[in-house]
Amino acid sequence: MLKISVDGVEMEVEEGRTILQALDDRGVLMNGVDVPHYCWHPGLSIDGSCRLCQVEIEGVPKLQIACNTPVQDGMVIHTQNDRVETARQGVMELLLVNHPLDCPICDQAGECKLQDYAFEYGQPHARTQEPRRALKKRYDLGPTVLLDQERCILCRRCVRFCREVPGTGELSVFNRADESVIDFFPGNELDNDYSMNVADICPVGALTTKDFRFKIRVWFLEDVPGVCTGCSNGCNIHMGVANNKVYRYLPRRNDLVNQTWICDEGRMSYKSVGAPDRLQQTLLRGDLGVLEAAPFAEGISQAAGRLRKLVDAHGPGVVSAVASAHATNEDLFTFSRFLESLGSETSGVAVVNGKQDDLLIKKEKAANAVGARALGFGDARVVAERVRGGGVQALIVMGHDLLDESILAEPESLARLDTLIVLDTHRSNLERYATVVFPVRHAAEKAGTLTNHAGRVQRIEPGVEPAFEAYSDGEVLAQLGSALGFEGWDGSYDVAQVSEELSTRQPAFSGVHLGTVGSAGLPLPGTPGKAGRDS
Amino acid sequence: MVISEEIRAKIDAEIAKYPVKRGALLPALHLVQSEHGYISNELAKELGELFEIRPIEVMEVVSFYNMFYDSPQGRHHVYVCTNLPCSLRGGRDLLRQLESHLGLKPGQTSADGRITLNHEECLGACGYAPMMRVGAQYYENLDLEQAKKILSELE
Amino acid sequence: MLKAPYVTNYLTEHFGEDDYGTLEGYKRRGGYEAARKALSQMSPEEVIDQVKDSGLQGRGGAGFSTGMKWSFMPKDSDKPKYLACNADESEPGSFKDRIILERGPHLMLEGILIAAWATGAEKTFIYCRGEYAFPGACVQRAIDEAYAAGVFGKNALGTGFQHDVVLMLGAGAYICGEETGLLESLEGKKGQPRKKPPFPAQYGAFGMPTTVNNVESFSHVPFIINNGAEWFKGFGTDKSPGTTIFGVSGHVVRPGLYELPLGTRLDEIIFEHAGGVPGGKKLKGAIPGGMSMPILPAGQLEVPMANEFLREHKTMLGTGGIMVMDETTCMVRAGVVISYFFRDESCGQCTQCREGTGWMHKVIERIERGAGTDRDIGILEDVAAKMEGQTICAFADAAAWPIQGLLRHFRNDFEEHVSRKKCPFSESFEL
Repeated sequence: MLKISVDGVEMEVEEGRTILQALDDRGVLMNGVDVPHYCWHPGLSIDGSCRLCQVEIEGVPKLQIACNTPVQDGMVIHTQNDRVETARQGVMELLLVNHPLDCPICDQAGECKLQDYAFEYGQPHARTQEPRRALKKRYDLGPTVLLDQERCILCRRCVRFCREVPGTGELSVFNRADESVIDFFPGNELDNDYSMNVADICPVGALTTKDFRFKIRVWFLEDVPGVCTGCSNGCNIHMGVANNKVYRYLPRRNDLVNQTWICDEGRMSYKSVGAPDRLQQTLLRGDLGVLEAAPFAEGISQAAGRLRKLVDAHGPGVVSAVASAHATNEDLFTFSRFLESLGSETSGVAVVNGKQDDLLIKKEKAANAVGARALGFGDARVVAERVRGGGVQALIVMGHDLLDESILAEPESLARLDTLIVLDTHRSNLERYATVVFPVRHAAEKAGTLTNHAGRVQRIEPGVEPAFEAYSDGEVLAQLGSALGFEGWDGSYDVAQVSEELSTRQPAFSGVHLGTVGSAGLPLPGTPGKAGRDS
Repeated sequence: MVISEEIRAKIDAEIAKYPVKRGALLPALHLVQSEHGYISNELAKELGELFEIRPIEVMEVVSFYNMFYDSPQGRHHVYVCTNLPCSLRGGRDLLRQLESHLGLKPGQTSADGRITLNHEECLGACGYAPMMRVGAQYYENLDLEQAKKILSELE
Repeated sequence: MLKAPYVTNYLTEHFGEDDYGTLEGYKRRGGYEAARKALSQMSPEEVIDQVKDSGLQGRGGAGFSTGMKWSFMPKDSDKPKYLACNADESEPGSFKDRIILERGPHLMLEGILIAAWATGAEKTFIYCRGEYAFPGACVQRAIDEAYAAGVFGKNALGTGFQHDVVLMLGAGAYICGEETGLLESLEGKKGQPRKKPPFPAQYGAFGMPTTVNNVESFSHVPFIINNGAEWFKGFGTDKSPGTTIFGVSGHVVRPGLYELPLGTRLDEIIFEHAGGVPGGKKLKGAIPGGMSMPILPAGQLEVPMANEFLREHKTMLGTGGIMVMDETTCMVRAGVVISYFFRDESCGQCTQCREGTGWMHKVIERIERGAGTDRDIGILEDVAAKMEGQTICAFADAAAWPIQGLLRHFRNDFEEHVSRKKCPFSESFEL
């Protein structure tokens, strides 16, 4: 470790890091010492071209860029003095020479680093009289992103991103001098699994996603930290919420999970929260054999009645369960305790596999398969096999991943069941066979923890309230357990308490619960807890 | 394949000179351009394959250098130096006169595709101004009549 | 082929003799004896020391000690080491390297071979500007001859030392004369200068330790090896030894090349050697060292052409390209031409350079059109200050300095444009 001084504050930093990296390592960048920068990004190679991060180093005559200057023992750095600020003002004024003054109609306004730093370091009046560059606007880069070349400040983050992260390299700077523009090669547009990250890292309004453009002004959005549930990587996200609606997911930095990135599919999965196919009512199969809306309490009482009857007649062995790998550890823990109380011994978790890569996208297409397995849920295919064989009379299913043909290839076999109880967020073909259907909360609508592929347990918080009556899986099960008269089940459900209980009762979760995981998550004991490929 | 065998062989000879294949990209672009007149997207793809880089990396290089073109040019490039040393000795007058003589503005190509006229920055002939470059050939200490004669002899 | 310089000294002594460019002609005049001596009788350290002792400063513009630069190359590196010869001569007003390439290519090649021995480099890449097709061809012919005669290759000059030389032609980008822009271009990329660290001596061409020297810098080396450091210091000034090839252009009777000792007075070069201003006109100003160097007004021409003296006048020797402007010259127009060049040639990486060069050009052009205001002159000074010393390479400085020079000495020209709302110089060159 080396000792440096930044604005009079002594700090120890790792050797081999640059000043900006060292500040970032210590988490003080943007959060104490703000060294403004455009081209530098923690997840990309150093570019050194925007020149905004210049700082004064005692004993060095010229200002130096913090992003590329290695720390040396005893270095005394000033990031805030007059000389540094004058240099920043210079960069800001020059960046604005050609930047359109269209903040009122720019979608980046409110989260624009050019706007922010111009406010901080800029001058109240532009001294330019000359016309600004006239370049392509609303330029279609591909299926997901638009470019406004006039707004671009040529920091080249997007170019480096495409080359260094997905490795697809669709973007380049063409020409030189003040004719430089970002563009793609004809026929090879910006189209990769991570394409929309370029809009996040674009410090200005040059790159915007087609999806979010003009949906809402960002200052109306509240950021709620969350976790993407698209696959077992558990990328950390910010949910952008306004008027009880999720407008977008943005990646939230977690260097142990997703750096600052998210895949496009995960990003777009925010749409599943307010999707038209959300289950919105408790459904009961009536006398006519048709599913009909019913009050929640009626659903609980019907489900409990049918289960009780079957267990009393045939013993708990005829009840099986399929857990969802999308549910939280708390939901699943409650489910396992529920099944234990019921006496059911056959249960499994349904996990759908899909495409994976070396970056973020993992094979298992659910956020909590590892958690479910750690809680003792086996393979749902075993349950499916029993259903097919006719050995199951009642099945309790969370979610509908069971319907994947890799798990239950013949959904018709569900028709053999006497009772099918479904807890799900979205509609599915399970409705054809279901006896009772409970709408449950989406991950964006509840609190809890999820365990990613590497064993990292991460917290989610409710960002929105469903516009209809819906509870978390755990809450539904607590009600059902109470209706079944399980000992100690009074129908109440406190997620924090459940989480703590889980961590006490399950050695695999020792010490890891809602109250301890924090915003960056905690690994389960004995797991790596950080990036690596699915086994 | 659009690049001829002959040019391809010359590119291979260039590649052999560099520790990393891509080192020969500029020489290769010169060679290919000498055959095709400019670097089309199709050629960029072929060069990309040859150099194991993306076509966009070929075209960003093309866009950076004055001597590479991404669109068809006249058979002869006539460049008149208008940088300061030449300006002081009539470089700009020469360009204006050639513009009216040829009926072309800088950057334009004659209707018959014979000549592309343009101005250029310093060509390292400051002591022999005014001067023009026609393709690889320098013509120095020029006056209008000499310049016209040179142009009239271009095929 | 270019004529020999009007004035020659040791470096260009034989440039008037057509066979000097051939291996045979070069050898007949003692060529490659210095390399033979260095490779067979001197250790690399002795060569570096001798070049250091000679005080030879790089002739590419920055004037850094050549021997010092060589000593930065790692001694015990398991990586291959390279040299790059900067033959990308593109500085407006400079045309001196071209004559070496055309008339004395073996002189440069011999210097390269000596430098290779001194630094342990296994290969030299000669990066020649693309427009120099003919000078490039002269060099290639010399390389081919040298290989055929065993000067280069596995057993250079029969000494067992291995060295290869590759000539590469650029493609028209001034910035490739900046040493790391050159390295990028050599690697087949856009010639955008690299941020430092790392420096080329650690991470140069293709990631290997590399030293970049200018054509003329290499060409002085055989003389230093043959005659010794003391002999070399007999030319020029104490701090700036040796001769250089001054290029004189613009409003002089005899524009062309003059090999003269460093420290020769600027007025002597312009008036005595180049014949002064033609047509009986008065001299208004002269740029002493290529277009990036600040101009000097008529009253400051008695300065000796060496950095230690030029610095006192807030300018530098640069590449020794002297541009002379007579009394008819509109300095605002000169500013338009200068700022256009830098606007056109900026590589576009750094904010200050990309945006500043364009802004300066637009403002100067407006002043020239008669549409400028008093405030515009202040803007020019301010933008130049914002560009200076803050970017990856020295290009932004090179763009700012000449404009600062014009404002320092010819502010009146700018002010008159503003107050009269038109260009007052009716006889100046037309834009």
